[in-house]
Amino acid sequence: MNSDPETFEALRKLMALKRHEQPPPEYLHQLPDTIITRIERGEGQLNLWDRLSANFSLRPSLAYAFGLTVCGALGLSVGYMVRQDMTHPADLPAEAILRGPVPASAFASQFKPANPPLHVANWLGNTNPAADSQLELSLFNTSHTALPVSYEPGN
Amino acid sequence: MVRLPIPVAEMEAEETAESRKISDLALVRQAQREDVGAYDELVRRYQERIYATVYHMTSNHEDANDLVQETFIKAYRALKTFKGDSSFYTWVYRIAVNKTINFLKQRKNRVHMSLNDVDHNAENDPDLVALVSEKTPRRDLNLAELQDKLNGAMLKLSEHHRMVVTLHDIQGLSHEEIGAIMNCNVGTVRSRLFYARQQLQAYLADYLKLCNAI
Repeated sequence: MNSDPETFEALRKLMALKRHEQPPPEYLHQLPDTIITRIERGEGQLNLWDRLSANFSLRPSLAYAFGLTVCGALGLSVGYMVRQDMTHPADLPAEAILRGPVPASAFASQFKPANPPLHVANWLGNTNPAADSQLELSLFNTSHTALPVSYEPGN
Repeated sequence: MVRLPIPVAEMEAEETAESRKISDLALVRQAQREDVGAYDELVRRYQERIYATVYHMTSNHEDANDLVQETFIKAYRALKTFKGDSSFYTWVYRIAVNKTINFLKQRKNRVHMSLNDVDHNAENDPDLVALVSEKTPRRDLNLAELQDKLNGAMLKLSEHHRMVVTLHDIQGLSHEEIGAIMNCNVGTVRSRLFYARQQLQAYLADYLKLCNAI
């Protein structure tokens, strides 16, 4: 890129043109009235968030402080909730807490296997009626049993 | 000693001079008490400079008009937060700069130039007169074409680089003032200005060669 003084001088001359660009006539005479009218009409009223963001854009340090406060409050509340859970587990009775950890077998009676469905389609496409015969229950033929039969070749 | 009555015209002239002397801070204090008249005076003092900055950034009169109005309305609403740590001028400039940069980031891919007319003084400007002289090698080059090229090159710069060039090379603000407005240090302002000028020189190389030839 070119940055010699001559070229810079030429650029400076060219930039002079920008200073001659003028808004339409009377524009600047009317602008204050337009602004004041809009203010008196109540436009641009700031809500809480607008006020905060206005302050933040003018004072970035305030934004950092606000961010830190929010993060700190979140961290503290999460920490407090975790501690609450550890000291007062809500689902177990007080006696269970005193007894200590409960073996898994203690819960076994609470869980019963669900009844098998009356009819389960053979989605895998197995055509052997002997296989999984117990699963193939039907509303109408509950007494039928399937016996495997073999035939010797040559008979 | 007999006091002579002061002529009305003289009194009016004195009043006008007095009203001009009212500091920005005094007007701000009045405006903070919801004195809209005081704010009107502040708008009149700075509208031209704020408009020019926003216009040079957007290269579009309609956009600049909207942004200037919104800047002054936002400044009025936020006036209660103004503590006077910086001048009102710097404060309102900062609002305008932030608003304009946010607007340009959103506009990004739909640039439409709507340029203002160049005033008749431009033809007599010693810097420009040679560019459009009949004796130049490019007689077809006119101010409107030059204006178009220059604005096109400005729009190729990033928002922050364009802002620094606008505030320094067009508006004539100092590095320190720009640093206060853009919330960055003087070193950053200088480096952005250097880089932006290099970019402009590259974009406008053909026209700058012509200037050098003259």
